[in-house]
Order: sequence, then C-alpha cells, then structure tokens
Amino acid sequence: MSTITFDPRTLEQLQQQKSMRPWRKKPTRFTASVTLAVVIPALIVAALYLTSDIPVPILLVVIYLPLQLIASGIAAWATKGTRGIADSVIIVNAIGASLFSVIVLVSVIGSLIVRGLRALSPHFLFQNSVYISPSTPLDYGGIGHSLVGTLLIVFIASLISVPIGIATAVYITEVRGRAVPYVRFFVQAMSGVPSVVAGLFILTIVVATGAFNQSAFAGGLAYAILMLPTVARTAEEVLKLVPDDLRTGALALGSTRARTVLRVVIPAARTGIITAVILGVARVIGETAPLLLAAGNNDQTVVNPFGSPISSVPTYIFNNVALPYPDAVTRAWGSALVLIILVAILFTLARVIGRGRVGR
Amino acid sequence: MSTAEFEDVMDLDIEGVEASTVHPVGPTEMEARDVSVWFGQRKVLEGVNIVFPKKTVTALIGPSGCGKSTFIRTLNRLHELIPGAALAGSVLYEGKDIYDAAVDPVSIRLQIGMVFQKPNPFPSMTIRGNVLSGLKLSGMKRDNHDDIVEETLTAAGLWNEVKDRLGNAAGDLSGGQQQRLVIARALAVQPHVLLMDEPCSALDPASTLKIEETIRELSKEVTIIIVTHNMQQAVRVSDYTAFFLAEEGTPGHVVEQGATTEIFGNPQEQRTLDYVNGRFG
Repeated sequence: MSTITFDPRTLEQLQQQKSMRPWRKKPTRFTASVTLAVVIPALIVAALYLTSDIPVPILLVVIYLPLQLIASGIAAWATKGTRGIADSVIIVNAIGASLFSVIVLVSVIGSLIVRGLRALSPHFLFQNSVYISPSTPLDYGGIGHSLVGTLLIVFIASLISVPIGIATAVYITEVRGRAVPYVRFFVQAMSGVPSVVAGLFILTIVVATGAFNQSAFAGGLAYAILMLPTVARTAEEVLKLVPDDLRTGALALGSTRARTVLRVVIPAARTGIITAVILGVARVIGETAPLLLAAGNNDQTVVNPFGSPISSVPTYIFNNVALPYPDAVTRAWGSALVLIILVAILFTLARVIGRGRVGR
Repeated sequence: MSTAEFEDVMDLDIEGVEASTVHPVGPTEMEARDVSVWFGQRKVLEGVNIVFPKKTVTALIGPSGCGKSTFIRTLNRLHELIPGAALAGSVLYEGKDIYDAAVDPVSIRLQIGMVFQKPNPFPSMTIRGNVLSGLKLSGMKRDNHDDIVEETLTAAGLWNEVKDRLGNAAGDLSGGQQQRLVIARALAVQPHVLLMDEPCSALDPASTLKIEETIRELSKEVTIIIVTHNMQQAVRVSDYTAFFLAEEGTPGHVVEQGATTEIFGNPQEQRTLDYVNGRFG
C-alpha cells in the first residue's frame, strides 16, 4: 500500500470552505415543539395576568413554572422520547432558578433607583448635614460626611483585620502548628458573632471605659471583629489552592519558610487574597448596629479618627428612613443607592487590581 | 543445591563484590550510607549505599514505587517535610553528615539544588524574576544580575528563545521551556549538586533532547543525580547507574549499581538484565 500525501489540487476547493457549526442544525420538528413549549405557557400566564388579579409572584411560581415544566417535558418527549424528559426538567429548573435570583437582584436595585435616584446630585455626595433638618428640601444638604465616615471606618477596620486575618490563614495553612484545629474552631465561632454583640463589646471595652470616644476608631474596631473571620477563612481557602510544588520548589532553592510564604505563596495567591479583603469589606460595609453603638452620629464632617462621634452611611439611613418627612426618606433611599454603588466600585476595583498579573 | 538457594548465594556474592568494585575513582561529592526510609510505620527504602563522585552524572533507575524519588529527596533534606517521614543511616556531603543536628537544612538545599518532575516556575514572577528568585529567596548576594540571567539561561538551553521577553510571565512558556527555566533558576544559586527527579517525564522529545544536552554540559561543573524511567536517557546522560527495586511487600533497595556501560551492557543480576531490557517494570 502506498502512502497518501497532500494533493495541492484540492487546495482551491479547501479555500472556499466556509466555517459552519453543524451541531447547531436542528430538525424542524425540534424547533417547532420548542417554540410551542415556550410560547403557550407564556401566553396563558399573560392572559391570566391581564384578566385576573392573581399576584405576580404566585402567578410566576405556582402557575408559570409548573406549566413551563410540563410544556418542556412534552416538547422533549416529542423530540427525544422519554430520555429527554429528565433533561428538560433539569434545564427548565436551572434556568428558572437563575432567573429568579437575577429578578431578586434587579428588583432590589430597581426599588433603590425608583425611590432614591431623586436624592442624588453632586451636593448630595459632597455636602454634610449641618443646618439640615429632616424637612429641608432635597436642594440642600448631603451625605458627604457619612461617606467620609464609612470609608474611614472601613479603612481602619481593614488595617486591623487584614494583617491579622492573613496571618491566621498563614498559621493554618503554612505553619500548620499544633493549635490549628482550635484556631480554626474559634475563627468559625467568631463568624457567628452577631454584629450588635461586636458593637456592644467595643462599647463596653473601649468607649465606656473612657479609653476612646465614640469615634471612627472605635467603629473600626467593631467592624474589624466582624471582618476578621471572613478575611481569615477566605484567605485560608485561597492559600490552600497554591500548589505544594511551589513551596517545595522555593525550599529547594535554599529559601527559609518565612521567605517562601512572603515571596512565593502569598504572591501566587494575590488575586484570591484581594478577593478575601473585598469579601470582608462587603461583609461589614452595611452593618448598622455596631456603628450606632461604637461610632455614634454626627452632622458634621469628621476626619479625625479618634476625636468625636462620626456619621456613616448605614447610620444615616437608619436615622432618616423612618422619619415622617418624605424628603428625609428619599435621602435615606438615595444613601442606600450610594452605598450599593460604593460596593460595586470596590468590587470592580478589586477585579482590576487582581487582574494585573505579574510583578517584577 | 536448589535454584532458589543458588540465587540466594549469588545475591550475597554479587552484593559483596559490588561494594568493592563499584567504588568509583576520583573525589567523592556525596555518599549515602545505609539509608533507610519510613513513612509512618511503612518502610519504603532499606540500606541504600551509593557513592556520587564529583562532576559525574548518576542515574537512578527502577520501576515506579521503588523509592527512587523518595531517596533523591533525602539527599537535600526535602524528605523531612512530609508528615510522618522517618530516616536512618547518614548522607555525607563533602564528608559531613547533612543530618547532623548542627546542620541548617536551608544551607544544604542552597548547595544541593533540585529540579522536579513537574515544572514549577513561580507564577507571580517574570522569566527574569524566576531565574533570580533563588538569590532573593536564599538571601544570596551576587553581582551583575543581567550576566547571571544570560549565563544560566544559556546553560539551560533557553536563552535564545526568551532573550527578547525576559519581562514576560513565566506561565506563558511551554512546558519544556518552563522546565529549562527552573533548571536555570536552580543554577543561579551556583549549587554543587543538582538533583533531578524525572525532569523530562512531562516533555516532548525535542525538549527532552535539549535538557539532556544541558545535563551533559552541566556535568562539567556540577554533580548531577537524576531519576529517570527512560532507559535510553540513562544510557545517554549518565556515567553511573543504580538500579532500585521493591519486590512484593518488601522495601525498595539497590539491586545493582556501577558504571552505566556495565549496568546496561553486562549486568550481573538477572533482575537488572530483565529490567534494562524492558521485560518488566
């Protein structure tokens, strides 16, 4: 038998080939039944929505979802036979569940925009609330002082909890000392501490003893208690993901354990550790109770972390949302919108920082 | 006399001969004396005696699970990092036991470098950063970093491929390039001994050939100990060969050792003959 070689005469034909996706082609029967399965339940639910006054959530969960399940099941049975039914049930449920969580998120953000957008303006972000009463119209005053407070408190909390959290994770994954089970247990137990307890703790230990006033520092301490377990546990998880090859590789180069951790393991897990910090911040940034107790409230802008009580976005919302003045309530919703935007900015920032890949 | 008894006698005889005939000429760099190794209660290596002469290449061959990799890790004190590890006997480096209480394992690992089975460049560093990482990690002072980078990458046979992109991430290199990069990294701290644990097992033939050339070239300067599953590779690169074997239920041990030409050309043991000819393992 002779060898077959490439024949240049076929080259022209080959160059005329178009890129296609043969696996995308579906028989008409399939397209028709899928279309019916999507359209019929949607039409029925739309008709019910227009003609009856069944509440929308019930309409979606109690009527639409089972209807869609049955319709998809029938469509699957018509095209693939019985083995298609299980597939279709799983797919419809998966799509339904993810749609549900998206709807929840969208409706939260939607309600913030609807009720709070009116409050947003440049002066809302930069002015403080001195000379502003709950009945003052939206043309004046803002939450600049609360934004500064929140950022200051979160920064102090990060300064305290991030090094301790990472050190805890390093102890658990790298040092692997004898106390690891106990440390892990306490970190886990700490993540169950209610935020109001953290606030009370700082109030009694730090504020009531006269060591510090209600201030950004005291508030930061309370936040740090809440951030620490999140940072430590997330950092532990990401450090565990660093392959052991890198550790032995560094040790084989004559590195000490400390240098291995600082120069190889932690840099390799950098993206994950930034995520740990962000998750910690996201965990605390909306907590109200600890700041009511430890940081207090203020209408002025405070930048000294130790001096006096300080405002923050969550306490500002808390103080305004239940007042009998529509403008104050709108301001509270606006602040909530700002808070959520702040969290979004932090997350994006973390992603961008994490993406920058290789150092020197 | 039954065959089994005959073989027993032969075993003893040959091992007796081995010790005297194999002792290589030239100064000794490292020596393993009666090294036995345990993981927990399980004994995985028994009574390994090997001499590694200066500036030679010694190949450790044998079927999977016979303790070659475990043995090579006892030579730079990486073995002890595994929980439950234990060891008896001694490993001499420049005439001193590296397991002496007064010896700092960090300084041992600095002089006895290692290249692993899977390339493990540090992902957070650039190509250049990886080559120099040993200096930073060990706190070693050497001048002219640019020269070191060029020298070691040239020695590892990688310079021409990466000289224009030293600032790129090490993870962007192919597997074979990464392996040559970690060889360069190991050379930058100027080790006296280089341990290589199946350095080519994950590589294509072209990269393997390059690394073998590198090994031959390096052996003019450093003592190399290489674990390999590839018989041809052992023949191509090594001066001496030790054949490890772990027979059913027993710990691994050295069946036969000597000059590579002898082990492959004229083995004294039936088991060695069978193994090097691919009849088992």
